[in-house]
Amino acid sequence: MKTEELLCTALDIGEQMLISGAEVSRVEDSLQRMISSYNIKRVDVFTITSSIVTTVTDNEDKTITQTRRINKYATDLNKLHDLNSLSRKICAQKPEADEIHKELESIVAKKPYSLAVQCFAFALIAGSFTIFFGGNFLDAAASALIGFILKISTYTLSKLNINMVLSNLVGSFILSFLAILFVFLHFGNNADMIIIGNIMLLIPGIGITNSIRDIVNGDLMAGILRFSEAIIVSLAIAGGYFLAALVLGGLVR
Amino acid sequence: MTIFLQILTAFLGSIGFSILFNVRGSKLFIAGLGGALSWGLYLALGPVLSSDSIKYFIASLFVTIYAEAFARIKKSPTTSFLVPGFIPLIPGGALYNTMKYALHNDWSLFADKASYTVQLALAIAAGIVAISSFMRMVNATIHYINLHKHKNT
Repeated sequence: MKTEELLCTALDIGEQMLISGAEVSRVEDSLQRMISSYNIKRVDVFTITSSIVTTVTDNEDKTITQTRRINKYATDLNKLHDLNSLSRKICAQKPEADEIHKELESIVAKKPYSLAVQCFAFALIAGSFTIFFGGNFLDAAASALIGFILKISTYTLSKLNINMVLSNLVGSFILSFLAILFVFLHFGNNADMIIIGNIMLLIPGIGITNSIRDIVNGDLMAGILRFSEAIIVSLAIAGGYFLAALVLGGLVR
Repeated sequence: MTIFLQILTAFLGSIGFSILFNVRGSKLFIAGLGGALSWGLYLALGPVLSSDSIKYFIASLFVTIYAEAFARIKKSPTTSFLVPGFIPLIPGGALYNTMKYALHNDWSLFADKASYTVQLALAIAAGIVAISSFMRMVNATIHYINLHKHKNT
């Protein structure tokens, strides 16, 4: 395999890993291993959450650098699992580029759960956590309905290409607004519990967990980036809640 | 009853998140169980320990060990089991109360709740940090031993 081809293929895999929610150190480590298992003298990989830079020197002393910019993430742990197995396989068997591309294509083509299933997952999570934090069953029903609506609205927002901060702000506004309204209409008794159950859906849990793991692994840059992203998202959630409470000022006790 | 409901909803909530993160098959159950066990452990520690931070720390230690173990058994990245396991521990309630006190201009209670939320988050972080660092040392040791075996043979 040509060095350019190898680098490009490896970066395709690394890019997909980062998008599906891998920690930075996993991406760096996998790229390093995959590329070094071929006939290569030296590999340097630098990754942060939004970019991968890799420089390779092959045995003919030719040096190549390629960069990838990552704009969007969609946590997909099944895809990450498959990519991880593919990278192990590459290290062990050193297959040709065509074969790798074919496998990569089939991994990327696998769809996540359908929108309908995801809507029900949102409803399940919101309803569960409303009870978890002390709400009653009526609250859970209201919460589940709001969760369902929330998924449809965030899905629509994502199609409109709205940035992450704004989409969280709008999402948080919608859920708080509906929760206060529902309780006012006596569908549900505790607006607090309904809101908490739904806020769990927006809290960037995976971002915070990964940022801590990045920092432990010594990737301070990536960790701090992810951490500040999580803080900004949390502020947006608070902002949406404040807006809803202001709009419906008279209904909040 | 409350305890049972909490553990059940922790299980369902963790499964819900695993669906969003596209976890499939038997891993879905393992992820949900991680969430239920982490909250069960937190509740079980209630009578023994009074500090919430320490209970969160111990639960976080447990989830990380659980995730690392199943990642090896299932040959899957640790994240698959780590993230769902933490879901019930996420201080969503504390965060909401913090926001609510800010809304009501109750700044002394706001400061209380905010520092409580940060404490819980730090306790969780400390748990992950402790186990992840330990696992890195274990991996380095295994790597070192394997290297020496190759040299000797």
